[in-house]
This record gives sequence, C-alpha cells and structure tokens, in this order.
Amino acid sequence: MSPTNSMSSALSGRNPADESAPVRIAVKDLNFYYGQFHGLKNVNLNFHDRQVTALIGPSGCGKSTLLRTFNRIYSLYPEQRATGQILLDGQNVLDAKVDLNELRARVGMVFQKPTPFPMSIYDNVAFGLRLYERLPKSELDGRVEDALRKAALWDEVKDKMKQAGTGLSGGQQQRLCIARSVAQRPEVILFDEPTSALDPISTGRIEELIEQLRTEFTIVIVTHNMQQAARISQFTAFMYLGELIEFAPTTKIFMNPDKRQTQDYITGRFG
Amino acid sequence: MTALTEQIALASDTRSSRTAPSKGLDRVFQLAALGSALLVLLVLAGILGSIIYGGWPAFREFGFGFITSSAWNVGSEQYGALVAVLGTLASAFLALLIGVPISIGIAIYLTQLCPGWARKPVAMTIELLASVPSIIYGMWGLFIFAPLFARYIQIPVSNVVEGLPIVGTILYARVPSGVGVLTAGIILAIMIVPFVASITRDMLDQIPTVLRESAYGIGCTTWEVVRHVLVPQASVSIIGAIMLGLGRALGETMAVTFVVGNANRLSASIFDPSSTIASRIANEFNEADGMQLNALMALGCLLFVITFIVLIIARLLTRRAKVA
Repeated sequence: MSPTNSMSSALSGRNPADESAPVRIAVKDLNFYYGQFHGLKNVNLNFHDRQVTALIGPSGCGKSTLLRTFNRIYSLYPEQRATGQILLDGQNVLDAKVDLNELRARVGMVFQKPTPFPMSIYDNVAFGLRLYERLPKSELDGRVEDALRKAALWDEVKDKMKQAGTGLSGGQQQRLCIARSVAQRPEVILFDEPTSALDPISTGRIEELIEQLRTEFTIVIVTHNMQQAARISQFTAFMYLGELIEFAPTTKIFMNPDKRQTQDYITGRFG
Repeated sequence: MTALTEQIALASDTRSSRTAPSKGLDRVFQLAALGSALLVLLVLAGILGSIIYGGWPAFREFGFGFITSSAWNVGSEQYGALVAVLGTLASAFLALLIGVPISIGIAIYLTQLCPGWARKPVAMTIELLASVPSIIYGMWGLFIFAPLFARYIQIPVSNVVEGLPIVGTILYARVPSGVGVLTAGIILAIMIVPFVASITRDMLDQIPTVLRESAYGIGCTTWEVVRHVLVPQASVSIIGAIMLGLGRALGETMAVTFVVGNANRLSASIFDPSSTIASRIANEFNEADGMQLNALMALGCLLFVITFIVLIIARLLTRRAKVA
C-alpha cells in the first residue's frame, strides 16, 4: 500500500504546505450545471494564499469545471450555471453584480494550449495592461519587461519584442501567456493543464516557473499528471464524478490518503 | 514469440493471394484527371485569346488613348473606355465600402453574440440572399429602390450640399432619377454581403475556443476580443473573402445594367448615372458590328485585366499578412 517510488522522489525536496496561510478562495456549497447535467456536486474547499493547489482526478471528474468557475469564464456559455458561493477575499464572485472584466484581471488563466494573440510579443503582454491601466510608455515598458522576466522569457525575447508572438516555440508561447497573465498583477493564477501540449523540457521550465510564481500569487493548477501534482503543489484536491473526494497537503494525499478512492487513483488502480 | 511469427506469416499469405490492382485502369484514371485539369486551362486560354483577337483592332486604332479617352461615339466611330473603367471601379469600391462592414458585422453577430436558437434562421436568410438571381436585384433596384432612393436620399441630400465644396460635387444629383453609380454600389453591396459574410463567419468559427476564452480570460470586453484578437486572427481569410466579393462586384452585369444609368458621361458625383464595363457590353452587344464590336471586345479585355490585378493584389495581401 505504499506509493510508487517515482512519486516519493517527486515529493522529496518540495516546500511543505503552509496550512496557516490565509484563505484566498473559499468555495462553499458549489454546484455546477451544464444544462441538465450536474457537473459539480456540493464542493467545499479552501485555497490558501501563495500556495500551489493541484486539482487531480480522472477525465470528466469536474476539476476543469471547478477551475473555470473562479474567473467565471463558463458564463460565456449561457447553458452553464453555478450555484453556491466562491469567496475571493471575501467577495462572492458568483454574484450577478460582479464586474466580470475586473474579476478576470484579478484572476488570471493559462490554458491547455498556448494562446498567443495575433500581435507582437510586446503587445501580447502589454495588451492586458492597456485594458485597465493608462500607463506612460516608459512605465509600460518596465511592466512588460518585469512580467517577461517573471515568466523566465525575457532573455529569449528581449531582442525581438516587435516580432509576432505566434513565431515562438510552443513552450515559449506558453510562457508568453503566463507573462500576459502576470503583467496584470492578478491575485490568483489558474492553470488548466498548462503543459499537456508541451515537450518534457518545456514542461520542466513551466513547472520551475510555477514554483517561483508561488512566492507572489495564489496558484490553482489542473493536471492529469500526478507526478506533476506531487512535484509542484503544496495542496492537492482529488475529485471524482463531480465530487470532491479528498483535500489535504500534497504529501498526505500521496503518502497517506484517508480515502480508499484516493489511494486507488494515485496508485493507478483506476482513472 | 512463435505465435507472433506465425501471425506475420499468415498476414503475408493473405497479401500474396490478393489480385494485383490493375495498372491499366489506374493509368486511365490518372489521364482522365489530368485531362480535366488541362481542359480548364484550355478553355481559359481560348476565351482570353479570342477576346484579345477580337479587341485587337480597337487597341491598334486608338492605342493607349482607348483607356484614357472618355469618348464613346458610335456615329463617328470614336471609342474610349475611361468612363466604363471608372464606373466599374467606383461602383465596386462603393459596394465594398458599404458591404464589407455590414458583412463583418453579420459574421461577428452570428458567431459571438447571437443566441443559439436564432443562429440558424439568420444564417439561412443570409444564404437565401445569395440565391436571388441578379435579374431580380436589377428589377427591384430599378422599379422600387431607385424611385425611393431618388425621393428620400438624392433630392434631400442634393438640396443640403448644393454649393458646398467637395461634398457639393460628390453628392449632388443634377437629375435626381435614382439611378447612378451609388445606386449600383448599393445593389452590388446587397449582392456581395452573403458571400463575404458567410466566408467570414466560417473563418471566425474556426478560431480555436481557447483563444477566444483566453482573450476573455484577461478581462477583455466582447468588442476588445473581436477587435484585437478574433478579427486579426482571421484577417487573412477576411481579406480573401473581400477580394472574392470585389471580383463579383466588378463583373456583375445584369443588376448593374438596370440601375447604373448607362450614360457615357464623366462626372465627379456618385449620384450621377454612368456605365460599367459589363453594363456597356450588355447594352450594346446586340447591335454592334465592325469597330464597335472590336471596342466592346477590347473593353472585355480590360475587365479581364482589372479582375486579374485584383486577384494578384489579393494574393500579395494574404501572403504579407501570413508572414506578419
């Protein structure tokens, strides 16, 4: 009944979970519906400040659905709706009065595939900034550089800022998208399987990057790769069929889970 | 291991027992396909050749003056293409000016804003517009649209702008009959909208959902998503769609012949009647012979050249946009 060797090696050398960190996002009695389909069932969960929380579970378990409620990106689709509460710093983001554009500037999102916009590298990062802040050129340049440095991309692109963002490699494009998010100085960054379209080396760089970003941002990451969850997260939530089965510090989930289902999933018995 | 080799042996057995595909039949098929492709080239070359041959006497007689002269006099056998060429370009340009923004608006509405249940009926209506024969547009344009246009647009606008600089020239109707270059442009716009709109819609639909979501995900409004992300992303295809519309507008004959006025007069006003190459040919071909026929053929050559240039510009634009 002990976890696999690769898992314990992945676990070693991580920063331990800080359970005393303040709660940044509190999910209360969250239910989610795709039309008639009940996608999330009474989910209750807290996300701690400046910690990486991984959402794991088999395909269709609702982990992406949960992620997509935090910035209400699901509301692009009229047949999707959520009930319950998601408190971001005490404010319910599911409230109809919430300004979605402002919310999405506070909660950044990075997708499965790199999504550079059809514009230059510089504009890709500056675009989101210009939406909300009127900055003088020099300050804008500084913010763009700062974001690209935080996304570990600056050295690779500083000489070709005017070139199209779509000309970069897949891994660079994904870091560009991370820079685009970081530039807006969000409170939370959501990662929806950010490395599923990348090669192992690019994946490694993104994982390092997430580790560094944790010092400034609260991070939630959906991943299919359990080693990845073990490597980079402090907390892990295991979901199955729309329900939250178990939520605990990552070490506990992978070494000594409370629930039988969690144990079976992480040892590869199903999923 | 033995089981595996046995299986492979079995597979090769079945392969060898199959009849070899008939080489001869394949050859026939290849030749037939090649023939079909060559036939298109042959027809194109034939049409081009015969038009150039037919128009040659006019080019020889008038030289470069055929393009720069605005005369078109059957009695004195003086022919110049300037009015028709300008009329063609002006009406097509006006059609794009009016039609393209509407088309892009339709495409954006259908792909981004339209509630699901309304999408099909609206798209269907637009495609039905494409199936209306051009003679219907011509009749409707002449008998219904032109009188209304004269009464409610031409006359009031002319009264307002009379005597003003520039607009007083461009938007002044000496004879507010309703027909003219702008009327032709409007009718052409209606005719190209379904094409441009449905191609643009298809292109916007093909943009991956994640790109759209990530644009909304950094807090863009719908306008910002469309303006800065979706339309630039589809720009190459949209330019292609516009050029297709332009090609159609340049060559459209029947509807334009009804509403353009068919006057051989050089005028700076878009309310004034004029001619296009296609309408001139359609009007005069029946009774033309001798030099007049040659001149019409030469006009046809010019139309060919103009559409060819449009095609080349479209290619260059789309190539540049792809690189950027």
